[in-house]
Amino acid sequence: MRALHTAATGMIAQEVNVQVISNNIANMRTTGYKRQRAEFQDLLYEHVRRAGSQTSEQGNMLPAGVEIGAGVKTVGTPRVMTQGNLLPTGKDFDVAIRGEGFFRIQLPDGSFAYTRDGSFEMDAQGRIVTNQGYVVQPGITIPQNATQITINSEGRVSVMLPGNTTPTQLGQIELSMFINKAGLQAIGDNLFVETTASGTPQNGTPGVDGFGNLQQGNLEQANVEAVTEISDLIAAQRAYEMNAKVINAADQMLQATANVMR
Amino acid sequence: MDNTLLVALSRQTALQRALEVTANNIANINTTGFKADGVVFEEHLSERARDNRFALGDRRVSFVADRATWHNFRQGAVQPTGNPLDVAISGDGFLVVQTPRGERYTRNGALQISATGELVNPEGYPVLGDGGPITLQTQDRNITIAPDGTVSVSGGLRGRLRIVEFPQRERLQKDATSSFAAPDGVQPQPATRSRLVQGAVETSNVEGVIEISRMIEITRAYTTLSQLTLAQSDMRRSAIERLADVPA
Repeated sequence: MRALHTAATGMIAQEVNVQVISNNIANMRTTGYKRQRAEFQDLLYEHVRRAGSQTSEQGNMLPAGVEIGAGVKTVGTPRVMTQGNLLPTGKDFDVAIRGEGFFRIQLPDGSFAYTRDGSFEMDAQGRIVTNQGYVVQPGITIPQNATQITINSEGRVSVMLPGNTTPTQLGQIELSMFINKAGLQAIGDNLFVETTASGTPQNGTPGVDGFGNLQQGNLEQANVEAVTEISDLIAAQRAYEMNAKVINAADQMLQATANVMR
Repeated sequence: MDNTLLVALSRQTALQRALEVTANNIANINTTGFKADGVVFEEHLSERARDNRFALGDRRVSFVADRATWHNFRQGAVQPTGNPLDVAISGDGFLVVQTPRGERYTRNGALQISATGELVNPEGYPVLGDGGPITLQTQDRNITIAPDGTVSVSGGLRGRLRIVEFPQRERLQKDATSSFAAPDGVQPQPATRSRLVQGAVETSNVEGVIEISRMIEITRAYTTLSQLTLAQSDMRRSAIERLADVPA
């Protein structure tokens, strides 16, 4: 009875769906999180009687065939890369990107990762780093006695040094863009790495050539919407139940057949 | 005598197929752009017995055959997603996808951008515009897809998505991956009455209530037929017992 397996594919798909939704809800308050959506497609069809096959020597044709599908598969969980809301925090090292682009972060192994999470800190050497202590590119070091740290919308970091009346410029934070940002691979810690699907990064300065602006003292919230997620969750749960009912029905039919023998 | 068994068997085989179709519908209740299938049964008459000398004449026996499955092309609900690369088709149109097997037609408008900047479907096959695949640049922002399929970004046009309609839509064949193949003799026509809605996808048009009630119907019919088979088997057994009961 193929219906059993077909329903099983449906249940597996809804399980994946609930996993994706629960991860979205769990990350509702994660800075810079981009929600994912499970994308499904139907599986192969068996053409039991193919439409267009001849039914007589006179050339009559079947107008419609018998096609029986084999269920559903998860084809991907692409990220929805829309802008999240900006939440003012007032903290000097909190930077949000308004528009396109990712901060480039150097991982301890020397490779680069990309993030929308701009909740930065200063480490013991005065460098601007992420919450995990990874250096934000290009590495900008802030002198110990510096005050009034400002990061402008183009990413220029300037400070007031003692004895000076004008701010001193220390460097400019860079952003990276990808042609297919939905193809980036998440590695946890709010970080993404490039893949062959995402394409190679294009680096540039904020506010120029389509790159977004930076907003100091703000953080980008997750783009998860509670209402959407909850209604998706209800739909997923009901779909799961219905697939379970199909298994039940197939089982009853098999049982009826088994009972004929006695 | 065997007719009861065989008629019941023909119906049960058809019912099993019907359950498979229903199972596939329910499995795809959350599949973007999926169109539900239905089953058509037909009466299949056996030939009339040649011998007409019986007092009451001979009666025809009708079997059941599942003649066809049909696609329910009713519009699914338009679910807003907020993703600028999602389009739902309002109307009878289809998007055109270039696959290695040839052009396929889909109602699944969850588009993505490939590593080379082409607009692709979730499987990575290019979704065609009027002049081939539509390519975007890295710097392109504010992607807008107009109701007629025109893809524009701030600072320029990038192409126009091809939307096609079929005069004989019911002849399309399902080709998995939420897409349809056009058999020989079915030609796509440029869409006239379809338009795109950006930031939304078309949900599956499977209706849970209908599928579940159809499923109950199938299970009950199947169980009834099993009872019939059982009754027939009992009749035959008692016939054998009675006839073989040689009086001492």
